Amino acid sequence: MTDEMKGPALVRDDELTNHLRAIVAPPEAPGYWESLEQRIMARVDRGTEEGRWWALSERAYQFGLLAAGLTLIVAGSVYLSSHALEARMAYESVIETPGVDQPIYARRGPLDD
Amino acid sequence: MTAVALPWATTPRRVVTERPSDERDLVLAAQRGEREAFSELVRRHQRRAYMVARSIVINHEDAEDAVQEAFLHAYKAIGRFLPDQAFGAWLHRITANAALDVTRRRKVRDADELPETVASPFRDPAAADELRTRLRDALGTLPERQRSVIVLHDVEGYKHAEIGKMLDIPEGTARSDLHYARSHLRQVLGGVRSGL
Repeated sequence: MTDEMKGPALVRDDELTNHLRAIVAPPEAPGYWESLEQRIMARVDRGTEEGRWWALSERAYQFGLLAAGLTLIVAGSVYLSSHALEARMAYESVIETPGVDQPIYARRGPLDD
Repeated sequence: MTAVALPWATTPRRVVTERPSDERDLVLAAQRGEREAFSELVRRHQRRAYMVARSIVINHEDAEDAVQEAFLHAYKAIGRFLPDQAFGAWLHRITANAALDVTRRRKVRDADELPETVASPFRDPAAADELRTRLRDALGTLPERQRSVIVLHDVEGYKHAEIGKMLDIPEGTARSDLHYARSHLRQVLGGVRSGL
């Protein structure tokens, strides 16, 4: 290998390499690679199906999100308008109800004169 | 049409009756959603992808898991792949990432569970060999990156630059990792030999 010659620190060890090759040797059983290929394609098919399911779910999620947003807007506006109505009623009740300490501007009395 | 043994197979496992299409055409067909084209890409690249995964996870089952994850990811992302680029290099980067994910998941699982005692259906030919068993144990104790670098370089024959791209590390780091990994394993090898 050409990059082996770039530095003296990297010394080839053929015996070590041979042992490593044996340790991590890929399976050689007959039919293994055909079997792996089938399992890979089955996983791909399964993953694609899951992808379709997720795609559907994604649309449902977007629809749900939109519906939730609209609900939030409607609920918010209902809350605000009811709150405004309550505030107005409270204000009007304070304005229109005479208090005990308030001066009496008109009193019915005997019409002596 | 003549029967052609595909070049990735070291043993004559699969013989096709037609000459395999150009890889770019296969990629384009896979991008159009042709399942058979993607299947052919799997056939061509699964062995090398397995070795990339195995260099990172060591364990056979995890390597298989990583390869399946990698191809699934590649299938989903193939629309974004530029057909003029090397499919293999792209796939190997995906495989390396998938293997690293599997390793992370394995670490979490191993921290929570007792060690697995279920025998693997795949019998490692090196298992009976004392020296190789010790060496394999030593390989397992190497830092993940050093282990990947030594397997990818010494076993699979990748260049430092290719390893750097695959593992997302500088070329110089790949070189120093290789140096440390070799030194460590050579020590183990020396120790075992003197003890035998």
